Amino acid sequence: MSVHAITLTTADVQTFSFDCDEAESLLDAAARRGLTLPSSCRQGACGACLATVQQGEFHRASINEKALPQGGDTTPILLCSTYPRGEMALTVTAQSAQITSGPVPVRSAMVVANDDIGGAVHRLVLDLVADPVDGLGAPFEAGQFMELEVPGTQQWRAYSLSNAPNWDGRLEFLIRLHPDGLCSQWLKTRAAVGETLRVRGPQGAMVLASDSLRPRCFIAGGTGLAPLLSMARQMAEFGDSQPCHLYFGVTRQQDLFALAELDALTAQLPSLQVTVCLWEASEGWQGATGSPVDAWARDMEAGTVRSPDVYVCGPAGLIDAVEKTAQQVGIPTKQVFSERFLPSS
Amino acid sequence: MFCYQCEQTAQTDQGAGCASQRGNCGKDEQTSDLQDLLIHAVKGIAQVATAGRSLGVSDPVADAFILKAMFSTLTNVNFNPARFTRMIADAAVLRENLKAAVVQAASARGVAAPVWAGPAAWVIPEEVGELLAQAECAAIRAGEDQVGADIIGLRALVLYGLKGVCAYAYHALMLGQSSQEVYAGIEQALDFLANEPADVQSLLDMALTVGTINLSVMALLDAGNTGSFGTPEPSQVRISPVAGKAILVSGHDMADLKVLLDQTAGQGINIYTHGEMLPAHSYPALKAYPHLVGNYGGAWQDQQKDFAEFPGAILMTSNCLIEPGPRYRQRIFTTGPVGWPGLRHLEDHAFAPVIQAAKALPGFAADAEEKTITIGFGRDAVLSVADTVIEAVKGGAIRHFFLVGGCDGADSGRNYYTDFVEQTPQDTVVLTLGCNKYRFNTLDLGSIGGIPRLLDMGQCNDSYSAIQVASALAKAFDCGVNDLPLSLVVSWFEQKAAAVLLTLLALGLKGIRLGPTLPAFITPTVLQTLVDAFDIKPIGTPEGDLAAILQTAAE
Repeated sequence: MSVHAITLTTADVQTFSFDCDEAESLLDAAARRGLTLPSSCRQGACGACLATVQQGEFHRASINEKALPQGGDTTPILLCSTYPRGEMALTVTAQSAQITSGPVPVRSAMVVANDDIGGAVHRLVLDLVADPVDGLGAPFEAGQFMELEVPGTQQWRAYSLSNAPNWDGRLEFLIRLHPDGLCSQWLKTRAAVGETLRVRGPQGAMVLASDSLRPRCFIAGGTGLAPLLSMARQMAEFGDSQPCHLYFGVTRQQDLFALAELDALTAQLPSLQVTVCLWEASEGWQGATGSPVDAWARDMEAGTVRSPDVYVCGPAGLIDAVEKTAQQVGIPTKQVFSERFLPSS
Repeated sequence: MFCYQCEQTAQTDQGAGCASQRGNCGKDEQTSDLQDLLIHAVKGIAQVATAGRSLGVSDPVADAFILKAMFSTLTNVNFNPARFTRMIADAAVLRENLKAAVVQAASARGVAAPVWAGPAAWVIPEEVGELLAQAECAAIRAGEDQVGADIIGLRALVLYGLKGVCAYAYHALMLGQSSQEVYAGIEQALDFLANEPADVQSLLDMALTVGTINLSVMALLDAGNTGSFGTPEPSQVRISPVAGKAILVSGHDMADLKVLLDQTAGQGINIYTHGEMLPAHSYPALKAYPHLVGNYGGAWQDQQKDFAEFPGAILMTSNCLIEPGPRYRQRIFTTGPVGWPGLRHLEDHAFAPVIQAAKALPGFAADAEEKTITIGFGRDAVLSVADTVIEAVKGGAIRHFFLVGGCDGADSGRNYYTDFVEQTPQDTVVLTLGCNKYRFNTLDLGSIGGIPRLLDMGQCNDSYSAIQVASALAKAFDCGVNDLPLSLVVSWFEQKAAAVLLTLLALGLKGIRLGPTLPAFITPTVLQTLVDAFDIKPIGTPEGDLAAILQTAAE
């Protein structure tokens, strides 16, 4: 079996090298070398391990095509499902700081709140149990996600954190309940304050480009709001002054949630504007109509924001629409940050 | 981007200097350009301030701003572009306010208002893109095609020396020490640079003037440290951890350390010094805190390993910061001039988040085996045994003194300093200061007549103390400092060291050995000038240099 040299360059131009044989996925080979790259399902379904091939031949296993960006002239791959057939040069959107060594930490956490906050969304709050390495700290970056092991199932589900990194060990998630969802069933019927579960993370490469001076646009579909809320909350805590605009969309008015949190955030972060959008506006709706991408595109066309960094989280279709619009209005690909979170089962 | 201000600058086929998307220090192109633009803006403030002083106008806010702004551009201090855009905007406001005061003062005196030119007249764009588009005119090599590399290198020598002066002056200011004479000197030197000088001799003269200003600044800082914390005294410092929650304090700012010690008193958190904070353990008012338990780790270039393994919170008070690794990125905090994008920055001694992090983190589970080193041989400690020292020299027990100090760094050539100190003969004494000491400060060199052969004098700015000792010895021996059995073997890394070097040259010290490499901005022509005037020389091999020094001394 041939072994090939792989070089991987991060968004902050740091290069990592490792060898990979033809029967091994790029993700596994990196892990063997001690590099833990952003990933989640590790079976070609979620898109968390997205990379771009700059050079080299490869074999791609069967994957969920929705996990890859649509269109464009780049060669996107999922590291978990790609096998080299020669030397390869790759780029990832992650910063070098998101590439850790060793396995992803697994910790215990206790449920401290499980609230229905409207729109069939639950706000799940966990407190980490102190461990020998991190103590009570919750050392994630705003925008990252954790996997939760649904109690009694040995099944893991990934959810973005919606709070800012903190030293209380607190993790907050916004989770939409699905009728047949494994975690949904637990949240709806069994999850109780005081119950403990295992969490794995932090993971994920969609974090704030903290070295960028550009305005920030956050585009959220449904509970895709969570990581963007985390980012905006961190901006408020850090006193970041660059202009930022959050476009938050759901289908119907009854699907709305977290509006009080957004009001509180705009008070703490004066540079934040919020536009709430309904796809199916009901009578008397005073906000924007259509998708959050439509609202954002209108502002881009009107020139109210110039060359922003764009952070998007939501269904694959929403992300595709943002990427297409970004291309049309001339925003470089490197300024669009997204993570394709797709159903795990 | 082009930057060649520090020792680790890139060496390529095209010459020396970091000119890619990212410098060797980790500074990206945008931040590097913004630093150049901030310096340009600061020159403008200095022009106006200098004109103002001749009319009796001064602005303490502008004076202090110049120090912090210049310090922020030192190597390994501030990598956060957002902080630089804010400082540039602040500079525009300060400069215009100062201009208005100057015009008013001129009018009151019935004299013509100054006509602003160069950086003082620069229309500073508010929009970042427009600002960055002007980076080329603010670059360190701007105008090289007209004046040549020698002039550009000399301007760089003056500017980088001034950066070091401002950094020390900022530390002194944080301890309540400032001087109008120093502010005026700094502003005059920046004004001089704003006028794009192109005469070799006037640039060399200004470089030495900067060195003289730095002597005053180091005296201020010395007064600040000793006035606030007492006179350094020989002290044993634990260099192995003890059980308990922990905060590691790095950098140079002892005022920050003092406040943190106060804020953590009685909270069950142990405070450790890192790098150049080590001398804190020799100051009576700081070592009196029972929770200042020891020193942790090596010199600054080891921080990515040391910080990752430290099980507590970390506070960075000044240089030298390296890109924080993922294992400690969420538990390192910056303050003062320091910054890194995405790290929590704390102003005005609001250290509550550091303390909260320390309480949340596990700390050290158990005591490690006790290990200690001895520090605190400042000028008072050394001069208190001056009679013994003088007798030892006269009697032949001490043949020679070496001052081996300065910055440490990752360059493998820096092993020279370890080897040099290890090979010093038994009848010689090694004085040291700066973080270069971490190369050899755990060596047991023994003692001569009760005087330790290795004397740690403190931080890099404690060069002032070394100068005082040398001057006192020269007086006792009735000779010049250059005639003492004393050789300086200096390592440099960044701009504080450049300031200290200029001070030593301004004092007329000759024969300094400088390494591990010579500054990239010193052209061969300028180097020859320095060699001719000061006999400055690059380090060679430890064996060769030791032999040459001792042979010369014997002649």
